[in-house]
Amino acid sequence: MARLPKLIDGISFGLLSPEEIRKMSVTRIVTADTYDEDGYPIERGLMDPRLGVVDPGLRCRTCGMRAGECPGHFGRIELARPVIHVGYAGVIYDCLRATCRKCGRILLPEEDLDYFRRKVEDARATGGDWWDYSKEVISQASKVTECPHCGEKQLRIKLEKPTTFREEKNRLTPSDVRERLERITDSDAMLLGINPEVARPEWMVLTVLPVPPVTVRPSITLETGVRSEDDLTHKLVDVIRINQRLSENIEAGAPHLIVEDLWELLQYHVTTLFDNQVSGVPPARHRSGRTLRTLAQRLKGKEGRFRGNLSGKRVDFSARTVISPDPCISINEIGVPEYIAKILTVPVRVTKYNIEKIRNLVRRGPEVHPGANYVISPDGRRYDLRYADREELAEAIQPGFIVERHLMDGDVVLFNRQPSLHRMSIMAHEVRVMPGRTFRLNLCVCPPYNADFDGDEMNLHVPQSREAQAEARILMRVQEQILSPRFGGPIIGGIQDHITGLYMLTKRGVWLNREQAQQLLAAAGIEPHLPKPAKKEGGVEYWSGKQIFSMLLPKGLNLTYKAKICETQECARCLKENCPIDGYVVIRNGELISGVMDERSCKALSRCEVLDRIVKDYGSDEARRFLDRATRLAIAAAKMFGFTTGIADEDIPKEAREKIEEVLMDASEKVKKLIEVYERGELEQLPGRSLRETLEMRIMELLTEARDKAGEIAEKHLGLDNQAVIMARTGARGSMLNLTQMAGCVGQQSVRGERLSRGYRGRTLPHFKVGDLGPRARGFVESSYKKGLNPTEFFFHAMGGREGLVDTAVRTAQSGYMQRRLINALQDLRVEHDGTVRDDHGHIIQFEYGEDRVDPARTDLGKAVNVDKIIEKVIGVGGS
Amino acid sequence: MTGGGKSAEGEGEFDVTKHQLVPKHEVLSKEEAKEVLRRYQVKVHQLPRIKASDPVVKAIGAKVGDILKITRDSPTAGKTVAYRYVVRG
Amino acid sequence: MDRISPETIESEIRKLRGELPKRIVDDLRSSLLKVAKNVTLTRDKLDKIIKMVKKAYVDALVEPGEPVGTVAAQSIGEPGTQMTLRTFHYAGVAELNVTLGLPRLIEILDARRAPAAALMEIHLKGELSKDREKAREFARKIEMVTLEDVVSQTETDLINMEFVVTLDRDRIKRKGLVPSEIASKLSENLKSEVITHGYKLRIKPGTPTLPDLRRLAMKAKEVQLSGVKGINRVVIKAEGGKYVVYTEGSNLAEILKMPEVDSTRTTTNDIREIEKVLGIEAARNAIIKEAVNTLEEQGLDVDVRHVMLVADIMTASGEVQQIGRHGISGGKASVLARASFEVTTKHLLEACIRGERDRLKGIIENVIAGQPIPLGTGSVELEMARGERVGRG
Repeated sequence: MARLPKLIDGISFGLLSPEEIRKMSVTRIVTADTYDEDGYPIERGLMDPRLGVVDPGLRCRTCGMRAGECPGHFGRIELARPVIHVGYAGVIYDCLRATCRKCGRILLPEEDLDYFRRKVEDARATGGDWWDYSKEVISQASKVTECPHCGEKQLRIKLEKPTTFREEKNRLTPSDVRERLERITDSDAMLLGINPEVARPEWMVLTVLPVPPVTVRPSITLETGVRSEDDLTHKLVDVIRINQRLSENIEAGAPHLIVEDLWELLQYHVTTLFDNQVSGVPPARHRSGRTLRTLAQRLKGKEGRFRGNLSGKRVDFSARTVISPDPCISINEIGVPEYIAKILTVPVRVTKYNIEKIRNLVRRGPEVHPGANYVISPDGRRYDLRYADREELAEAIQPGFIVERHLMDGDVVLFNRQPSLHRMSIMAHEVRVMPGRTFRLNLCVCPPYNADFDGDEMNLHVPQSREAQAEARILMRVQEQILSPRFGGPIIGGIQDHITGLYMLTKRGVWLNREQAQQLLAAAGIEPHLPKPAKKEGGVEYWSGKQIFSMLLPKGLNLTYKAKICETQECARCLKENCPIDGYVVIRNGELISGVMDERSCKALSRCEVLDRIVKDYGSDEARRFLDRATRLAIAAAKMFGFTTGIADEDIPKEAREKIEEVLMDASEKVKKLIEVYERGELEQLPGRSLRETLEMRIMELLTEARDKAGEIAEKHLGLDNQAVIMARTGARGSMLNLTQMAGCVGQQSVRGERLSRGYRGRTLPHFKVGDLGPRARGFVESSYKKGLNPTEFFFHAMGGREGLVDTAVRTAQSGYMQRRLINALQDLRVEHDGTVRDDHGHIIQFEYGEDRVDPARTDLGKAVNVDKIIEKVIGVGGS
Repeated sequence: MTGGGKSAEGEGEFDVTKHQLVPKHEVLSKEEAKEVLRRYQVKVHQLPRIKASDPVVKAIGAKVGDILKITRDSPTAGKTVAYRYVVRG
Repeated sequence: MDRISPETIESEIRKLRGELPKRIVDDLRSSLLKVAKNVTLTRDKLDKIIKMVKKAYVDALVEPGEPVGTVAAQSIGEPGTQMTLRTFHYAGVAELNVTLGLPRLIEILDARRAPAAALMEIHLKGELSKDREKAREFARKIEMVTLEDVVSQTETDLINMEFVVTLDRDRIKRKGLVPSEIASKLSENLKSEVITHGYKLRIKPGTPTLPDLRRLAMKAKEVQLSGVKGINRVVIKAEGGKYVVYTEGSNLAEILKMPEVDSTRTTTNDIREIEKVLGIEAARNAIIKEAVNTLEEQGLDVDVRHVMLVADIMTASGEVQQIGRHGISGGKASVLARASFEVTTKHLLEACIRGERDRLKGIIENVIAGQPIPLGTGSVELEMARGERVGRG
């Protein structure tokens, strides 16, 4: 029988009255001892069996249920003297200040009270924050010195944090306080921000203390057999002990002073039971010196009940292991180790259609892979297939049984990598059970997860219900997430070698014979029906790389754009199809006519035209197919042509090195002159800057220019025939800056955006003269990485590098907190059927989402409709 | 009906409603206001708010309880309309 | 094949107004008119284009129930890790400090009262903006000068019980001040006697006591001699043939009142100030502008719609509310939502004495209660009368 789903409509909050505490308590706790010599819980002690069960096998003395079913039951401690509830000391203080010490009315004339009463009633009727008026009432009333109701003169009341009240010089005992609070009328309480229907003011002073059930504070039995009690139990022991001593002393008629002392001690223990981090109260400690984790500490903070157990829960049906790449599986798939697939299960309901298949699974049992672990009969009994007679059970199953079978190929699972910064951090994959011990994933899904394979681990969850599986498959599948809602472009796509591979395949002059062409197509998983060869030479047929790539493109695709490699090129006029570096991409009816495939074709997280067009015009199925094949083709191409880079790629001719040296010398000279000008006091000051700042800015400018010039010189000798340059220019990995730093000059190192200046007095290192402002003394690295840094340069470089590391560490913390706040503030918003955005109370935040109702993930880089593309499609190409 | 209204441009004064950051604010008539509430099926307190002390509210002479129609320039839609309910403050 | 006239295009497009967002219609109009000049546009094709544009728009609409808030928060928060942390950077005007990157974004979302680097962009009226000298003069006029800025030496004369300041000739000349003027400003501000000896000013405290003299010395240095309060540093920059005045420090209310200023375009980066001077809608626009600029400067691609949603929720209450404890998160109706964000116990204790009731309408509350959340597929509510099943089955 499925449980009838219950919906919680609301949760009301209130204070427990003493009567209520007594009513819900199953026993009064009087002894501080927990167990007797035989290890049995003592009745009316803190482990009284009526408080619930935690030990398996036993039944609860109150409700008769077993451990795990019994929710536990409260007990109580009758306090010998009342104590203040620490959390409400401030509220009590407000109540005392605002009310008469004699008659207990609020110290305002009846008219004023009526006025506020009306306000409060109004606010309550409209669901407003009625308690906001209490601030005003309290601040006005606490200034009154004579009661307008009974004429009593009021004395100044002071709160000595945390829980002591004084009236002038006299200390008010909690009993006195409670008496006064009792006098406050219900309608006055309302004006003080207290709702007497659920919280009478005097309930803030405790006369009876509820004892939480043992289920809340289970004791742990260590391996040695020694019981270790929960912190709360320890604290409650203290409370009971002092309570008992206090009542004994009172009964014995002990001197006032002793009673007072014990009373205060009782207050201390109750205070720390509630909150062990109250300022001004020394925290209660364990014997070992560790501070106790009492009620407030259990709730607070990241690992507290709220954030740690209620907002985020631990789950079953999950797995975690190291990830590794597999370029051969689809982006939609995930390789799951067989070992894991045998532990994770999916419940399947037996029907007359699948019964034979399931019988087989049951027969195979938990040890052999496509098997099953449990059988659940319609009456709810669970059979563990490790121990059951599987043959017998397989025969016994009938439609209506549920079998928990192993995870199998084609099942949907959720895959996740922390930190889960956006929704693409959890996506649904289809299982492929594989040998090995790691999760395997396609490289195209690295960007959304921000994963690499230097030891990253990821989590996997198996949705159990059909509903959850359907939602995962339809909404969360990887191919449905190709477009990021952040900017409306692909976040899943090729990376690194995929880009170089495609570039090498599609660049000019790539000719493949039949064998090569078919090998590439086979690798991409395409039936090798080759088009007409583009060239015949010496009787041999040749196909161009572009032709091969075109076989992946959907028919009817038309595109014209400039490739990434074109960016750095400085052409006076674009030669279009005749571009010297083949940077002008033209695709007509699914044929790549000219141009190379680089970052702009299908790199994740960039303006990649081809992939972008395919997802938006042909849908996610086609996009997935394209990506799967294109990446496999790219890797096959890279393997066929070979691709490598090494330190020799950063070699530049001697003349270039000399030229760079010259540039740097020149800059050094200029800086020297600038410093001289500065020292003579002839430097022209920039408005609003000190002379020194002006000098620094000018020097920085000069040195940046010198570095750039050095880079340019180096760049001239690094052409597209260079493998490292291919990576940088196609956008596969690295940048030209990286390369020029290796080949030319590293440049200025900085900390906090300024040249290095700290270290010794007036100099960075003892190698330099005091007050030396020259480039070398202030962190300019003239060497290239390839040449190697000299010791001072190396040190400066480490300084700059360290700042980067610190920066990253600080940034993750800061941006994490920012995101948490953003999520918290915005999570209740949703789009309604009328296109408005509203919060959980129906307040309109936007009248039309995004002002045009358009989903950013479905936009063309922010544009709702790309009008030109549509016109082009209708009237044909060449129209514009 | 439209902004401009009360504050004249002159020595030591400037017209808030003419600033490029300030969109057009208009006070809705009773009927128009009712129509807005009907269209969105909301009570007045569920609308976004604007304080009576807001410089633009003062400039166009709107009062507590009015609903303002705000016509914004939108980077996505070109033009868009929003409403705000004038509250005490 | 009838070629259709631009008038027909116009009239067809007019029909789309109100049905499609203005920007799409405008785009379509300009593109069509441009195309029609070169290519024969037939009725058929025009209809087809319009049909396709309409369909493209409908296809691009958000799905009801979409958790747009969470998506916006993620879209702005996720790139946060990629931003630089360096607070100060030189941008645009090299002479001025601007807060950039993550710290600036956090500052905007915090709706902080005084941004670390307040900056104004002042446009001048008509002719003034074209005249470099006039712009300079204006800049000098608004730059706040305190006594401290123009003195070369100060001393506390304990014998005569005087505070003696020596003015720096160059500096007062550059600021366009004369000693007598300074003296009168001082005596007016400090309500005390000031004796002028060329470039030496002797200021006498109200009573010749040591504490008074000390206090006077402190106060005297801060006396504002000229300019607008809060405007610390002024830089003029030529932009498209016009001179624009940039200032470090901000005082929008005072600057906008000045007759030289173009009060329609002058702005500041202090959002609270914009709210005070120009109203909540201007503040909304400013939040969007500042956040978008910050993200763009970092080279991060984030759709404006996300930023707009954040700006809208920050301004929905009529005043700019912070994203966080003292703003939107702290003001939520749900007890559990507040308790699970920050300061857990305080919210729970308060909820108890007020007898609050959590209606479990929001997301986090339902997560806590272990129920489906009212978003996306969970936002569909279906009620069914329970009873015997009749019919099939």
